[in-house]
Amino acid sequence: MLQVTAELTRGAFQLQLDCRLSDSVTGIIGASGSGKTTLLHMVAGLVKPAAGRIVFDNDVLFDSASGLDVPTHRRRMGLVFQDCRLFPHLSVSENLAYGERLLPPKDRHFSQKTVIELLELESVLGHRPGQLSGGQAQRVALGRALLASPRVLLLDEPLASLDWRLKQQIMPFLRRVRDVTPIPMLYVSHDSKEILDLTDRIVVLESGKVVGAGPVMDIIQDPRVLQQLRLQGLVNILPLTVLSHDGAAGLTRLQLRTPVAGPCGEPLTVSGPRLGVTAGREIHATLRPEDIALGGSAITGVSIQNQIKGRVVRLIHSPDRDVCVVDVGISLVVEISPNGAKALGLEVGSPIWCLFKSSAIQYLDVSLS
Amino acid sequence: MGCRRVYLSGTLGRMLLWLSPEEWVVLGLSARVAFCCAVAVSIPGIACGWLLARTRFPGKSLVDALLHAPLVMPPVVTGYLLLVLLGRRGLFGQFLFNHFGMTFAFTWKAAVIASAVMAFPLMVRAVRIAIEMADPKLEAAARCLGASPLRTFLTITLPLARPGIITGLVLAFARSLGEFGATIVFAGNIQGETRTLPLAVYSYMQSSGGDAAALRLVLVSILLSLGALVVSEIMSRRYSHIERVVE
Repeated sequence: MLQVTAELTRGAFQLQLDCRLSDSVTGIIGASGSGKTTLLHMVAGLVKPAAGRIVFDNDVLFDSASGLDVPTHRRRMGLVFQDCRLFPHLSVSENLAYGERLLPPKDRHFSQKTVIELLELESVLGHRPGQLSGGQAQRVALGRALLASPRVLLLDEPLASLDWRLKQQIMPFLRRVRDVTPIPMLYVSHDSKEILDLTDRIVVLESGKVVGAGPVMDIIQDPRVLQQLRLQGLVNILPLTVLSHDGAAGLTRLQLRTPVAGPCGEPLTVSGPRLGVTAGREIHATLRPEDIALGGSAITGVSIQNQIKGRVVRLIHSPDRDVCVVDVGISLVVEISPNGAKALGLEVGSPIWCLFKSSAIQYLDVSLS
Repeated sequence: MGCRRVYLSGTLGRMLLWLSPEEWVVLGLSARVAFCCAVAVSIPGIACGWLLARTRFPGKSLVDALLHAPLVMPPVVTGYLLLVLLGRRGLFGQFLFNHFGMTFAFTWKAAVIASAVMAFPLMVRAVRIAIEMADPKLEAAARCLGASPLRTFLTITLPLARPGIITGLVLAFARSLGEFGATIVFAGNIQGETRTLPLAVYSYMQSSGGDAAALRLVLVSILLSLGALVVSEIMSRRYSHIERVVE
């Protein structure tokens, strides 16, 4: 468990953090300048808090009261930077080995072979960083950090400088790292989609302060949390299993699945010919809250293909739009106008149908598009 | 004069073909002094370059100015100051002689010291610029991977600054080959001991019948200087891909 209490003033910016991070992946969400990167840099030891205490698993890394400040190179916090920071004078394989070589063999969590396979780096090992594409460079940076066997992996907007297509290429690798390695991750981003794709445990920062921490659906009621999430592009992440794919008709049938209860609800339909979709495959897709309509019953005679029955679990009123959390097996966040909410007579516990066009479903795995 | 010019051009080819044993001694001494000068400035030059590029301390601009003083001071003045400091009766020279029996003035070591002092600012400047260009973010990345500050310096900063360090060393070598003023004051002009290329050219020009030898050494000097430039160019090209990426 990582425990951070820290204060820092820089010009007009004031940081006052107090958080405990105990999950395998914690997403840190906030606007630019909210202190996300500073938080990571303080954990890594690159930024020294004016006052506070940073503890990882009973190991005190920083304590202003006793004057303790463990230097960066002894903290073993693997920081992956937005700009990769590969060493330009070393080849990819030398970059990968840089941190690993400094560790006694007994402290190494992974072999080079494992990481190279995990991140598919075999073909670029002899390259210089200057010859890599943005996505490859970010994978090398991730591999380099993993091979240094960090106690925590700190990811500082690793996808921010990449375009949409490259982001989609890296996300599966991050999911793989999450699933395969026991290393806890702190993932900073100003894009909710990236974070929610990896975890539902988040810390929301606003102007240097923690405004919410915990599972998304538990803290979304806080208006500050909700506002930050919406500013940072709140989306629903749907875990799906491919049921069938009809290439000629351009229709794919998908089944929503829940982490615990397995398949739930009626199958969904997505139109458009997609390559590489085979029955049985598990994929992820996004669905924006504003793309979902609510109805009191299933509707016939409309073009909307997807209608799932659920139950309202939470209603949050905000000045412009109301937000409704619907349990359809997973929690779906739906945005509706206050008038619409009134007309439907929404109440917590009432049954409701979520309607959305098949085009609203966007696959997260690039190989599918 | 006309007669002399004919004589010079007529024997130019022959002059280039061989150097007298005495001139070979001059050349060997110059090479040795220049090499030792480059070695002598290397580590202090890198240290000072790093200090100026990466640290902040009170009086930094004063230190910067002092390090650059030999660039702007008349070389003869630098030589004179060296004599005052390190001459056998100088401030430190006396101490060194009395306690360790060390003498510098008017030996080949004095020629090395004189040219090293003259070349030092060039070395520091080249290293400082190269280290300033090496991205400190890469150093932070190395430390996050577990590298101590010293290891970070040796494995990241130094290799990234390599083109600048090589340029600095070549400049120091070339500066030493051309050093005249400080050397003649501090080391004297002793045949076989401190008579480097420029001093030899000067001496031959002063003696009757020394024109041919002076011209030969002038040509050798030009060749060496151009050679140094070429080496520096090749070195910086070889490592230029690094700088491009760092930028």
